Amino acid sequence: MPETILVLVEQREGKLNRVSWEALTAGQALAAETGWTLEAAVVGSGVSGIATEVAGKKVAKVYDIESPKLQPYTPDAFAAALKQFLSSSSPKLVLMPHTYQVRDFIPKLATSMGRTAITDCIGYKKEGDKLLFTRQMFQGKLAADVSFTGDAPWFVTFQNGAFRGDKVEAAPSPAPVETVNVDIQESAIRNKPQEIFKEAKQAVDLTQAEIIVAVGRGIKEQKNIEIAKQLAEALGGELAASRPICDSGWLPMDRQIGSSGQTVAPKLYLALGISGAIQHIVGMKGARTIIAINKDSEAPIFEIADYAIVGNLFDVVPALIEEVKKAKAGG
Amino acid sequence: MLVFRKPLQNVDHPEMPADIVIVGGGPAGMACALRLSQLIDEHNARNPDAELSKENIYVLEKAREIGQHCLSGALLDPRSMRELLPGFEKEAPLDAEVTKESVYFLTKTGKLKFPITPPPLRDHGNYVISINRFTKWLGSKVEETGITIFTGFAGSELLYDGNRIIGVRTDDKGVDKQNQPKSNFEPGYDLKAKVVILAEGTRGSLTKQLINKFNLDKDRNPQTYGQGIKELWEVPAGRIAAGEVIYTMGWPLTSREYGGAWIYGGKNNIVSLGFVTDLDYPDPRLDPHHVLQDFKQHPFVARLLEGGKMIRYGAKSLPYGGWWAIPPVSGDGWMILGDSAGFLNSQRLKGIHLAIKSGMLAAETAFEALAKNDASAAHLSSYQERVENSWIKDELWKVRNFHQGFEHGFWSGMFHAVIQQITGGRGLHDRYPASPGYKRMKKLADLPPDGGDEAHLLGPAKGDGKLTFDKLTDLYHSGTKHEEDQPAHLIIHDTNLCEERCVKEYGGPCQHFCPANVYELIDDSTAPNGKRISLNPSNCVHCKTCDIHDPYQIITWVPPEGGGGPNYDGM
Repeated sequence: MPETILVLVEQREGKLNRVSWEALTAGQALAAETGWTLEAAVVGSGVSGIATEVAGKKVAKVYDIESPKLQPYTPDAFAAALKQFLSSSSPKLVLMPHTYQVRDFIPKLATSMGRTAITDCIGYKKEGDKLLFTRQMFQGKLAADVSFTGDAPWFVTFQNGAFRGDKVEAAPSPAPVETVNVDIQESAIRNKPQEIFKEAKQAVDLTQAEIIVAVGRGIKEQKNIEIAKQLAEALGGELAASRPICDSGWLPMDRQIGSSGQTVAPKLYLALGISGAIQHIVGMKGARTIIAINKDSEAPIFEIADYAIVGNLFDVVPALIEEVKKAKAGG
Repeated sequence: MLVFRKPLQNVDHPEMPADIVIVGGGPAGMACALRLSQLIDEHNARNPDAELSKENIYVLEKAREIGQHCLSGALLDPRSMRELLPGFEKEAPLDAEVTKESVYFLTKTGKLKFPITPPPLRDHGNYVISINRFTKWLGSKVEETGITIFTGFAGSELLYDGNRIIGVRTDDKGVDKQNQPKSNFEPGYDLKAKVVILAEGTRGSLTKQLINKFNLDKDRNPQTYGQGIKELWEVPAGRIAAGEVIYTMGWPLTSREYGGAWIYGGKNNIVSLGFVTDLDYPDPRLDPHHVLQDFKQHPFVARLLEGGKMIRYGAKSLPYGGWWAIPPVSGDGWMILGDSAGFLNSQRLKGIHLAIKSGMLAAETAFEALAKNDASAAHLSSYQERVENSWIKDELWKVRNFHQGFEHGFWSGMFHAVIQQITGGRGLHDRYPASPGYKRMKKLADLPPDGGDEAHLLGPAKGDGKLTFDKLTDLYHSGTKHEEDQPAHLIIHDTNLCEERCVKEYGGPCQHFCPANVYELIDDSTAPNGKRISLNPSNCVHCKTCDIHDPYQIITWVPPEGGGGPNYDGM
């Protein structure tokens, strides 16, 4: 009987992760070269639709591994489900895309079975009877061919883009889908999933701001940033900073202007207590109008400022806020 | 809150076997790799049945590209290059052959030309080069041989088996400001090597570990250092010829500091100029960057640069200690090359040719170790012997006491230099002692509050934006860049000492001697003396001055994440 290759298809929230097609392409190529049987599996709760979709591709069989405990995703439940499944189906090779989810559960699964995983591969080679999987080392400067010496199943993950997902072969008639119900003990799941983290869309896009109020070291203390914030609000602008402020953690990094931060070109740039080192200037010199407030009349910021206020920003800024508010109320 | 880089615990490091690992891809490391390749080629031609492979010879270079961290004046004495690659002049990037040299003693506004150029400063036959371009070229020759250069990888730790060096660990990638792994974390590799060759440049971080572990500086003079600050200028045509070399002594330094300037005319109206200040000056407020800015204001220099444009900036430390300060250069599994060992002729201000020669000699020993499969201390000691029997020793022996003669000021130094010149380098005694430069720093209480004669050298330079520049503006022209989200690679072992004692006793010399504004003392009413130490590690130009010169010796420079650092294009 030939050996079996199993491709694990990934789903998140009941949606197929399309990078799975790349792993399936790899599986089809390997199956063609080795003459082994290619099967696929999807793990989840109520994911038969995905299994059916996969069954439309050139595979011998698709397993729909089901348990209500597999939704929401937890590494414990996935590892337990797959361990149970693999103990009866015993494929030689298990192929997966190198996704965050796979990176999360594969070490646990492989370790609990006493097996090895070769991860983040960019290809494979067949030399005689030996299968070699290629991994990058030294940030891609070297490639290492790695082979398994231990018992099957052998776990392999492929780097995103290593195979062409659009080259996955379809089948003339759908493959059979077998539902496998796995039994996962409540106590096996130690993870408590929280609400799914959605990357906050960047709260601030300084490059689009028309008015920017930027603070520098002259602001002295974190609590003083409040007055700059008030000025920004009064003007309807965004708050930004030079590097020392973000380095101290007083404002987030995405508000840093300069050579190690963002480059901006607003209509109005107010520099409060910013000396104007070249590293800052290169990030904002494209501003149409620059107003600088600084105690030091020799601060280099004044060389590029259109309006220079030599004075203590703690006197000037509150007065400015008042005037802006008055002007707005009057207008 | 400062968090310093330290090795992460409980991390598996992937291992890779190697024959030879060379840490540092400067002139010494590249020459070593190239010579190794030549020896292996010759061997394989003679022994087709017992070929040696170059596949497992690796060069680690922390810069993103070859040569990007290389800085020097530079003048190349071609002696070693002619041995390594006869006829190299035809293909190497050389700016010009030196055709004219002069030496001046400067006073504040005047200058005194030496009637004859002192023999050590005669440079006819040497070449003005950009060490950055030269090393890039040398590196491309190495790459052609099939030896792998890992750019963007630093050697961060030595691997030991008992007292034997068995390899090098590369830097961990993807560690955040709090010293925690990020999602792109990649642990360093353990390169297990038969021979580890340290060619890290001045004050190498692994070399320092090795010297400390085995007390290699025992019975040696302490190493002493200078700090060179360099600017590259583009000047109007006709100011200085390509191949013209000018050295100056004197102003802006007083007779209590040792140092001097160079001005080299390169191709296309590019001028390399810089000032080397010895790191043994008495006043902790002295700022070597300020010294260069003062120097440029001398009418002689200002006229040369007028209407020109500063295009690049950088800084480097250099080992001045000479022959008596060189540690044993080989041991069980290791060898030390170039500036890391201290192969620099302080009288001629030249080290590149010695670095290359030391790399070649180490290659011969490493090749034998490979062929005989014996990298023991006994075997590698042949490198030590090769150095002692080579012209490296001949050249350094003659000047073995030169630099120490200047410890008591310029005029006494000149006196000793003359005596040594007529006694074959011996001078008044056989071995002039030395003391580490940081110990010569005086406390503020023992110095005139206004700085006295040195007042013009103290504190930050202001800069007019044309001829002179403040430090941050200069720094911008070094092209320095690092991954920002990483722990500080300047490890201050006791920050309380900075704030409680140093601020009071020395006024925080780190903020002055650092040429890159890494160290700052910020007003803070909660700090014991009103100042808090703050670091800007991503400004660092990797000169190691802080590691060398802090008066309490509590700073350790370790490599930041590989790939970061200055960009010394054309320097």
